[in-house]
Amino acid sequence: MSNGTAEFQAFSPGEETSEIAKNNPSAFLSQITGAKVAVKLNSGVEYRGDLQCVDGYMNIALEQTEEYVDGILKNQYGDVFIRGNNVLYISSI
Amino acid sequence: MSTSQLLPLELVDKCVGSRIWVVMKADREFSGTLLGFDDFVNMVLEDVTEYDNLGNQTHLPKILLNGNNICMLIPGGEPGGEAGEEPGAQTASE
Repeated sequence: MSNGTAEFQAFSPGEETSEIAKNNPSAFLSQITGAKVAVKLNSGVEYRGDLQCVDGYMNIALEQTEEYVDGILKNQYGDVFIRGNNVLYISSI
Repeated sequence: MSTSQLLPLELVDKCVGSRIWVVMKADREFSGTLLGFDDFVNMVLEDVTEYDNLGNQTHLPKILLNGNNICMLIPGGEPGGEAGEEPGAQTASE
């Protein structure tokens, strides 16, 4: 696979696509853009902040970011870019 | 011919709207209601419990789970067999 343009697409095996399309990953991302989110990385470190934008690689831009290591606030940043390969999940809070 | 076989992603599609248990590559598990997913099996889950490698549980209202590290999906299941549908399904966390 040499697809440089990873996109979130709904899987569409049958007629049920319209029901799925409302809750697929890209729909969720547009719902939570601008809101406060928690982003957990594979390392276990968590970043909480205002979600500015996300792309198809799950690269993330956060503002007013707080860094939590083992649940303890360790750092605060104004602006953060998180490279998508490190992201475990994005959660609304 | 083609309709007789159930594709793996069609099985996941059947789980949309119901509880699902997600086992990650590393020692981590999630259980929640599957709202949607995409071709990479990135998943939107609601009312999620995260189980980490130390046995800690974290509740999350709604998440987009990166599909990159997903190892296994178990429809209806909960770690520890709380849902009662998967007897003996506890082995994956040991």
